[in-house]
Amino acid sequence: MSMDVNLAFFIDLFFHIMGMWWVIVPSILLGLIVGAIPGFSAANTIIILLPLTFLMEVEVGLVFMIALYCSSRLGAGIPAILVNIPGTAGAAATPLDGYPMAKKGLGQRALSISFVSSIIGGVLTTILALVTMPLLARVGFYMHSVEMIVVMLFGISLIASVAAKDMIKGLIAGFFGLMIGSIGADHVYATPRGTMGFLELYDGVPLIPALVGLFAISEAFLVIESGSLLSKSNVQNVDNASWKETIKGVRITLKRWYHVTWTSMIGLIIGVIPGAGAAIASFVAYQQSRTFSKTPDAYGTGHYEGLIAPEAANNGVTAGTLIPLMVLGIPGGATAAIMMVVMQYQGVPTGPRLFVERPELGYGVFMAMLVTYLLMAFTILPMSRYMSRVTMVSTTYMSPIIIAFTLVGSFVPREYMFDMYLAFAFGIIGYIARKTGYHVAAILIGVILGPLLEQYMLRALKMSDGDPMVLFSSSLGNILWAALVITLILPAFLKRRRQPKTVE
Amino acid sequence: MNFDAMKRRQFLKTGAATAGTLLAGSLMSSPAWAAYPDRNIDVIVPTRAGGGADRLLRAVSSVWKNHLNTNFEPGFFPGASGRVGYEVYMGKYQPDAYSLIFGNMGPEVLNWAVKAPSFDINDYFYFGRVDTDPGVVFVGAESKFKSIDDIITEGKKRKLNVGTSRLAHPASIGILALGEEVGVEFNLVPLSGGKKTVAGAVTLEMDFCVLTSGSVIAAGDACRTLLVFDNKNLAGDKLSNAPTMNDYFGTKLPPMYSARAFGIHKAAADKYPDRMELLQKTFKDAMNDPAYKEAFLKSKGFWPYSNYGGVAECEEFKNAMLELGGRYRSLLTGK
Repeated sequence: MSMDVNLAFFIDLFFHIMGMWWVIVPSILLGLIVGAIPGFSAANTIIILLPLTFLMEVEVGLVFMIALYCSSRLGAGIPAILVNIPGTAGAAATPLDGYPMAKKGLGQRALSISFVSSIIGGVLTTILALVTMPLLARVGFYMHSVEMIVVMLFGISLIASVAAKDMIKGLIAGFFGLMIGSIGADHVYATPRGTMGFLELYDGVPLIPALVGLFAISEAFLVIESGSLLSKSNVQNVDNASWKETIKGVRITLKRWYHVTWTSMIGLIIGVIPGAGAAIASFVAYQQSRTFSKTPDAYGTGHYEGLIAPEAANNGVTAGTLIPLMVLGIPGGATAAIMMVVMQYQGVPTGPRLFVERPELGYGVFMAMLVTYLLMAFTILPMSRYMSRVTMVSTTYMSPIIIAFTLVGSFVPREYMFDMYLAFAFGIIGYIARKTGYHVAAILIGVILGPLLEQYMLRALKMSDGDPMVLFSSSLGNILWAALVITLILPAFLKRRRQPKTVE
Repeated sequence: MNFDAMKRRQFLKTGAATAGTLLAGSLMSSPAWAAYPDRNIDVIVPTRAGGGADRLLRAVSSVWKNHLNTNFEPGFFPGASGRVGYEVYMGKYQPDAYSLIFGNMGPEVLNWAVKAPSFDINDYFYFGRVDTDPGVVFVGAESKFKSIDDIITEGKKRKLNVGTSRLAHPASIGILALGEEVGVEFNLVPLSGGKKTVAGAVTLEMDFCVLTSGSVIAAGDACRTLLVFDNKNLAGDKLSNAPTMNDYFGTKLPPMYSARAFGIHKAAADKYPDRMELLQKTFKDAMNDPAYKEAFLKSKGFWPYSNYGGVAECEEFKNAMLELGGRYRSLLTGK
């Protein structure tokens, strides 16, 4: 099949995909539900529905998967904001500022900010992906292990920021997280370390039980001690909230369009790198956002930009992960890998041949993403008012529900009872940490990013026969090192500059 | 005869009859007397649901169930390169021929050579091989290496980095054997999985990579195959018409396969030889059934790789893997 790819082609394609709203809208609703349930994900759901996908026409199947993928990413932010349960690792940075907003009775506004920044981030990065796809696909050719080590350090340096209020406790928490992250077989010789004889820990500590345990279960233990998630005055806030709160959230986000744009670009670029993912992107975006903020100390207390950054970034990843699959034929993530299976099953080529033989499918995937984000603006935004009411539910009911949901969510990815016990154990660790003033986010950053850093580090060292100078062997890597040093020094420098000079 | 005595006799008779009926009933319903199989057979898969093993298992079981007159219930226990699934199978399932394991004889047996499991590896055996997929040497489409000779020439100048999904993999053994043959030392770099290995080659982070051919075929034009670790390149142009190692270098290396096969507790085969015989016979019948080819092709399998094997073939393969794993143990474990 051969056709001209010009503006008319894209306009035609846009309206053609728009005409498939009957697939997209139900997929959005399904995606929001599975995204909001901890442990479920677009990848899991697509695997479950794989036989159905095989029966669909290839175009319908791809649009269905894309809509599910985008909406589940957005859906994961909902419980992260309202009840401190990040549904996936990609939403792990969302509660840092989203949940404090919900606790102040500003859940509706927080949801609105999250939705709008996700949608704008998704739309912008999809358009950019459509325009610069061949160029972006080259990122993977330059971002190798050495460069990824520095990217990981950007994320891990967030521990220091999180720990700013109590440096010793913060660093201890971060170090503890890194130690937990090092449990499992080493990445080269598969020698088990710290598994305590549990085979279930051989592949490392599973992420979802750690995530929901540290954040959600510990939170459930804490809120059970109080009658409500909200204080009396904050209950009043939720009671009085009208549609204006949603609109206010939209306006706050639109006013920060520049912030949404550059943090979503971080997501897009990290998403393009095969094997990297939304968790890295959202932590790096949060760290960068804080570094260049004029009010870094407000992060972690319900700062708008602290919510915008991870949400825009993890939706930027969505477009990014599909680029290596479409342009090079290598899937960038789990969902992309399943899409590849479906495409191969239907006899559709991936890689460069796709855009020659079936351009309407190659570009259609990104157009479906664009249409999904646009339709989500109308389907999900109005829901924010009703969703935020969750925070009003008495903790007598809420805590058991949170614990039940999260334990089931821990079970789902691997279907091991062990993972439920593990989530509970992490819940207790999280509870003790909170009670004693250790930041659970610092532990979690170590758990999520530690194994990835180790993996890239060991790979780089293996490639260089153990020579540590390999870390400074690439030009791009050295530029990134310099950028890392600058972003670590810059906040202190800016803070000093902003302080009024005193005359001695 | 008084009334009481009659009642007592009647009670004893009724009691004996009831007890007899219950005893007979319980004996009839016990597995030892019932026709095998009288319930579903569990199949333990040591990888994730939705992957290649899952699709292949569905294709085989959709036909085998008609020959065995029972259904198969898959249970997925991924983790630790297959160790979790085997440990669960050997540790938690009764050796009664109502549970099987569907594993990959290549990498999983190499695992045992590198680190022994908690059970005796002779306590289970494979009896039904489904397919054989050879390991290959491949590069990304933009690589400067156009042939295996280019790699060897460059390898004599510097130590080349070779991406592999994991060290204990038949394709890793293949490249180590090639290095020995041509006097070149390769540096194996494990990239944790097939997708990342393909990415390592395509993005040129690795000089070249080794992997099972199915994943390389799936990557399409993004990769170029340079050598096949088999006696024949069955995939032809799908694997860039690459030569085989034995043909090209005159070696006598056994094929480096990933080979999916059904395994069973040895104790089950010893205790229930009739069941074992039925399993083997019906499996072979299913593999020869034209409906199986249809199901295999429908699952997008590559038909030339469908390769039935019985106990003898599986045993030969298992022993070859253990021997190769033992020979390269120090390179695979770093000890």
